[in-house]
Amino acid sequence: MSSINCKLGVLSRPDGSALLTQGETTVMAGIYGPIEVKSQKLLINKASVEVCYRPKAGLPGIGDKFYESIIQNICEAALVSVLYPRSSILVVIQEMQNYGGLIACAVNACCLALLSSGIDMKFLIASVSCAMDNQGILHLNPDKIIWQNATATFVFVFDSTVQRIVASHTSGSFSSLQYQDALDLCKNGSKEVFEFYKTVIAQEISHES
Amino acid sequence: MAKIRESIISNCEKKFLIKGLEEHRRLDGRAFDEFRELHIEFSKDWGCCYVTLGKTAVLAQVSCEIQQPKSSRPSEGILIINVELSPMSAPHFEPGRQSELSVQLNRILEKCIKDSKAVDLESLCIKVNEKVWALKVNVNVLNHEGNIADCASIAALSALAHFRRPDISSDGEEIVVHTYAQRDPIPTAVHHYPVCVTYAMFNEGAVILADPTLLEEGVADAHLMIGLNAYKELCGLHLGGNALMTPQSILQCTSKAAARASVVIQQIKEALEKDQERRNQNKEFIFEDSVQFDKAASASNLGFYLDKWSTKQQKKRKNVKHVKEESGMENSTEDSNKGTVESFGKGSAVLLPPEDDNNWKTSSDEESESDIIPDDCLIKGDDKEYNKSKTKKKKLIK
Repeated sequence: MSSINCKLGVLSRPDGSALLTQGETTVMAGIYGPIEVKSQKLLINKASVEVCYRPKAGLPGIGDKFYESIIQNICEAALVSVLYPRSSILVVIQEMQNYGGLIACAVNACCLALLSSGIDMKFLIASVSCAMDNQGILHLNPDKIIWQNATATFVFVFDSTVQRIVASHTSGSFSSLQYQDALDLCKNGSKEVFEFYKTVIAQEISHES
Repeated sequence: MAKIRESIISNCEKKFLIKGLEEHRRLDGRAFDEFRELHIEFSKDWGCCYVTLGKTAVLAQVSCEIQQPKSSRPSEGILIINVELSPMSAPHFEPGRQSELSVQLNRILEKCIKDSKAVDLESLCIKVNEKVWALKVNVNVLNHEGNIADCASIAALSALAHFRRPDISSDGEEIVVHTYAQRDPIPTAVHHYPVCVTYAMFNEGAVILADPTLLEEGVADAHLMIGLNAYKELCGLHLGGNALMTPQSILQCTSKAAARASVVIQQIKEALEKDQERRNQNKEFIFEDSVQFDKAASASNLGFYLDKWSTKQQKKRKNVKHVKEESGMENSTEDSNKGTVESFGKGSAVLLPPEDDNNWKTSSDEESESDIIPDDCLIKGDDKEYNKSKTKKKKLIK
């Protein structure tokens, strides 16, 4: 497992923010919420979740919009949005450095930022990515070189309660058996991520009290 | 289209700020011509840097592509500067939309960096009239706590100075772009380092504040943004708002800004050197931010200790009365119950309050009063630091 580092509350403006580094991939996440909602996005029974993904160079393209929708789906699953009707929860993800496994890093940063903002969640989410090279060997949290030469990549998101799959995103071709292997590998990896969340929050609380 | 409204500054906030300024105090305890702490960090990618000025945070990234030059300037490369106000910095900023602020910031940075010819555009030419490099500087504002212009100009300039474009070779007809692994990339030629220095004016130019925070920016009558390089050459001047200023005060500001600019440029150069060292050592690149992190932690800790003192104070008073009524305790032990001193960041220390069981030993109200002003709890380190933290602590208490 590659090294994972996090700082909570790096930014003063957002209600919750986190700077997360997994391996050499770095993502900054900021949460505002619940805040005033734009009239066209108003929902009367729950909060609308808006996700904004910013690449560090250039305008957001199709790929970035795709990340946005993945993260939005995950956030909607994890947040108890019925508690905040007629409001919106704004999630902003900023790519800082991309060396493979960006989505997984973004989802984890998002979860930590949500935790630090104190918004209600049904469960925590942990994302783990793995890549399969041309010999069919699976690499957990691969670096950029493995990521680029992989025949297939898998990103899974698990919940913290019963370790169900919240999201699964794959690219490339693979057999169903290989998928199962990748799933098991990532599920094991997710335990470490949840453990990491615990230490981060414990540190944060000990700083405060 | 409906928009999330910007938070409004209330009248009492305004009055409080201005009253403070009349007493020569700023809300964050800085002197009028004092700037917030600047921190520059480079990423593993070429031309990417993360700059924080106080709490304002900005991420800049330079990218390049081959384009056809402008027909009016066939032998010059292209430099585009784009400031993006991300909704992360404040919820009322909309992504991908040009607001008045972002247009203004773009123009100021263009004036400061592009129009002052800081980057050698001719060296970006590949083939006259056909192909030149176009450098694009993307500045993402991550946290809006005032004075984006300074922070963004420092970030854009550091990113440009740090950036390396891929090497090319040409046989007259075809141009081959080599990857970073194939050939060493080429640094950008930067002639001089122009940075932006901002001042905010209050009371028709009577009060001039350096590096205004968000609140100060909102209350100020006018802003003066001065672009300067290390040779004290003016690279841009922008006066916004409605201050009736005398020419003298503008000249004064400019000379003050020149001193600041040279300090900033020195810091940029040091950061670049440090980055080079790190690359030579092949260290792992993550946004360490260690300095930044320690500061954030200590700032929150400071508040925590101060809170503790004030609650102690209340407790003490009750106890003191109690003691007085009963026996009029002696005060000979006061020296031993001053608590323990722990070192705390650079050049300062914190006096931890004594344990609960002996907190009533001070015998008069006056003494307990003097106890909470932690003059005696500061260990004199670096004199400047000492004074700064001292005034800060005092202010926080008051």
